Amino acid sequence: MTNTRFAILLFPALLAPGLLAQDTVAPTTGEPVGSARGTNKGDYNIVQSWEAGYRFMSVGGDRGKYSGDVNYRDGFRLLSSQMTVNSKDGKGKYFDEIILSTQGLGNDPYESAVLRVAKNGLYRYDLSWRQNDYFNTALVVSAGQHAQNTVHRWEDHEVTLFPEKNFRIRAGYGGVSLDGPALSSQQEFDTKGDVYPVFRNIRERFDEYRIAADGRFKNFKFTVQRRWEFYKEDTKDNQILALKGTAPALLTSFVRPQPYRGRTPGWMGNIYGETRWIALNAHASYSSGTGDYAQNELAIGLDRFGSSANRQIAVRAHGNRPVAAGDFATTVLPGKRFSIVNNLSASNTRMNGSNLFQQYDASTLSFATVNFQFLGIRLVTNSTDAHFRISKRLDVFGGVRFSQREIRSIEDTADAGSKFDGVSGQQTNSTKAGVFGANVFLGKAFRAHFEGEIGRNDNPLTPVSLRDYHAIRSKLQYRTKTWTLGGGYNDNYNTNSVQITAYSAHSRTYSANGSWTAKSWVSVDAGYSKLHLDTIGGIVFFAGSPRAVRVTDQQSMYVSNIHAANIGLRFALRKYADLVVGYNLTKDTGDGRAMLTAQSSANAQILYNAQTFPLTYQTPLLRLSVRLTEKLRWNVGYQYYGYHEDFGLLSLNQGYRANTGYTSLLWAF
Amino acid sequence: MRNGLSHGLWQRLALLFLAIFLLGSSSLARAQQGAAAPENKYVGGQVCRTCHPDVWLNFNRNPHFKSVAMGNQTPEKTGCEGCHGAGGNHVAAKGGKATIKAFSTMTPGQALDTCLTCHSKDISRANIRKSAHTEADVACNNCHSVHKPATPKFLLAKQQTQLCYTCHADVRAQFEMPSKHRVNEGAVQCSDCHNPHGAFAETWRTGTGSTMLTNARENEQPCLKCHIDKRGPFVFEHEPVRVEGCAACHQPHGSTNAKLLRRPVVFTVCLECHNGGGTFGRQGNGVQAQTSSHNLQDPKYQRCVLCHVRIHGSNSDSNFLR
Repeated sequence: MTNTRFAILLFPALLAPGLLAQDTVAPTTGEPVGSARGTNKGDYNIVQSWEAGYRFMSVGGDRGKYSGDVNYRDGFRLLSSQMTVNSKDGKGKYFDEIILSTQGLGNDPYESAVLRVAKNGLYRYDLSWRQNDYFNTALVVSAGQHAQNTVHRWEDHEVTLFPEKNFRIRAGYGGVSLDGPALSSQQEFDTKGDVYPVFRNIRERFDEYRIAADGRFKNFKFTVQRRWEFYKEDTKDNQILALKGTAPALLTSFVRPQPYRGRTPGWMGNIYGETRWIALNAHASYSSGTGDYAQNELAIGLDRFGSSANRQIAVRAHGNRPVAAGDFATTVLPGKRFSIVNNLSASNTRMNGSNLFQQYDASTLSFATVNFQFLGIRLVTNSTDAHFRISKRLDVFGGVRFSQREIRSIEDTADAGSKFDGVSGQQTNSTKAGVFGANVFLGKAFRAHFEGEIGRNDNPLTPVSLRDYHAIRSKLQYRTKTWTLGGGYNDNYNTNSVQITAYSAHSRTYSANGSWTAKSWVSVDAGYSKLHLDTIGGIVFFAGSPRAVRVTDQQSMYVSNIHAANIGLRFALRKYADLVVGYNLTKDTGDGRAMLTAQSSANAQILYNAQTFPLTYQTPLLRLSVRLTEKLRWNVGYQYYGYHEDFGLLSLNQGYRANTGYTSLLWAF
Repeated sequence: MRNGLSHGLWQRLALLFLAIFLLGSSSLARAQQGAAAPENKYVGGQVCRTCHPDVWLNFNRNPHFKSVAMGNQTPEKTGCEGCHGAGGNHVAAKGGKATIKAFSTMTPGQALDTCLTCHSKDISRANIRKSAHTEADVACNNCHSVHKPATPKFLLAKQQTQLCYTCHADVRAQFEMPSKHRVNEGAVQCSDCHNPHGAFAETWRTGTGSTMLTNARENEQPCLKCHIDKRGPFVFEHEPVRVEGCAACHQPHGSTNAKLLRRPVVFTVCLECHNGGGTFGRQGNGVQAQTSSHNLQDPKYQRCVLCHVRIHGSNSDSNFLR
């Protein structure tokens, strides 16, 4: 290909919106400010950058769906910050290193901070904090039910004493919390009654405290960890207004506090040793989870026959879950070219508990109880893999896997007449699988990876579990200083056919990506993936009018063909300006149908409507960064989010169009 | 419960562990005795500075600088020569990749061995020998850049997300779907769920191809690290959640369907299992099908979770209604 032809082919790509150094328009990254980075203060060198600005947003269409998918909002933000402080000689008085980075502080929906403070040889402290404000859409569709965010927050702190020594101590704390509103639903006053929306005030908190020691003795490294976990939930369901159902049903009052308290203390131990031709790794853990639960539900109103209903349900429950797991891995390295790895893992999970469920009907004073259930899972897995390097250009590997799992359950009740009384079940299944593959290296630039797996489970738990399956995974990559080209093909086939449930799932993924950094001032990258999925399975349901009858002659089919593409360009005008344009597209063309058409029967129509879900989701972006001074840049960016569903499958149109953007100053020195 | 795994089998497995461990211990001792002495002389990092001033000037910001600063490490674990080997021959030859341990000329296995000289003591890397990355000849220097890192912590060659996308382009496409874990937005990272250095076997499903998932709290699926309300223990567990894992119903990376579900309409997710057919389920007589009180022509029965609101597990209702 001549250079001219190449340029003609490339030109449209350069004009296309696109590059993706990242997929959200802000914060700004990758634009250096001047050549001199870092300042010296005493015995320390400090490098820092701060980007602050204003983010704006406008939405048309289903705002609830936008808030569930994207959720950027207006306001001032500290979009990002980075700071490192390093002692120049590694012998600082109180610390030798501080690393701080933040993103989105000041009310972005995705906020985070990472901090490390360390003194060589003495201590290291790591903090990770993240917060995600998300729109909890409760059910399958958003439908714009409310406009408040639920806040999901994570934090983790860990202090390591003597981090570089042969014996070190670690102590840490981790916390996760959810706090905010959601919608739920409640069916009253029987299984054919109306379903009412219920406001849920979610309050959940998880706290973990841990202490660990790592040591080295001769060529063995060991770790022992003790952990205490606490979980509490004070979620409360409330109905605020009297809700009218199908006449004459009416729910006038509903309240359901349901506190839960859980504790899970646990132990973990690991011992690891390695020498020239053998590596051993043994790992064991045990945790004993318990939970106490209470519920007091009160529903008042009219049932579907118009009779007054006043139902109270009181529950107290206690659950236990001891889990023991162990792994033993042996890696034998008889030579530079050959390795054999065997991994044997076993886990045993037992869940049992007591539950007292009491239901009072104000008119009949009847009640029912269900008070016990057990579920036990024991899993033993062994895998053996061999890896042989035939030459510098080729190595091959293969392995066998075997898993055996036992599942036992008991349902028992105090009610001798209950269908759950004395029901127990046990099921054993095993999976046998083989894997094989090769890696090919042609020079330094090219590598290829091929891998195949074929397996069978003799008694899967569910109709959609793996039974007879095979998978192919392959990747090609060509990398030079200026070019990266890659491609891949994956497929996963599974059939699980017995009687009614002739189930099969086929997924195939094709992908290609490339980037070209022609000069320091211009680069392009692009990628394309096609993800194909088709499944078919047996389905049984009840439908019909005036009486629902059992339907067994239909099949559940689902087809998706997702085309995902991204393309981008970065162009720098010397040191003065950087332009980034990018475009992401996700398009599910479904099974190719242009519209939903009427089917021969109502039952066929139900399944026909659920067979495919074509949609388009696209997010083009544009960002300009201009150098004002050696240490200061001005940035501006715009990103569009467009979501469109081709069919109104879910009884409403959830499409939206959102224009988001930002302008900021980046100060780096 | 003992039919599949007899007491005797457990005893034999325990004996096998012991025998392999004893074998390993003796081999460790033999290997120590047979270690070869270095042929080269160590010259110290100050000598390297003469020709590599750009590397040296920034080295105090590098975590590996502590091997120099602490001053108590042996020469083969100090500064430049800690990774690149003795520099005597390299200096005498006035440079050249043939006279020093240059990572650009190493095989993946050699690069791995070099880094593990110091970095094997963390439990997070205890499975690196058997990881899918190692099997695919992805070595440390494919992801980490010691001298030109994009991140001061962990010395990654690029920001983590972009780094993983370099090879996993198909996964990138999943994270760009409308319903997804917020990896591109920075709320979630690949390493929250995966350990790129290898992981222990999964405890919640029978083994297939390794996805290097990190067991949460040692023996649980990683989803439960953040989705704390799904963890339980519940008095009434929904078995597939514990036995097959969350991926039985959800696509963990991203989906065009709400809630990362595998199907756009929820009843198909449920009824493909709950059809009463075959030998599936706990009792081996099929997973319980719905009853005649559920008329699927009524839209409310097409949204199963409208009523079965505690579908991941319940403490008060065996049908997950509350």
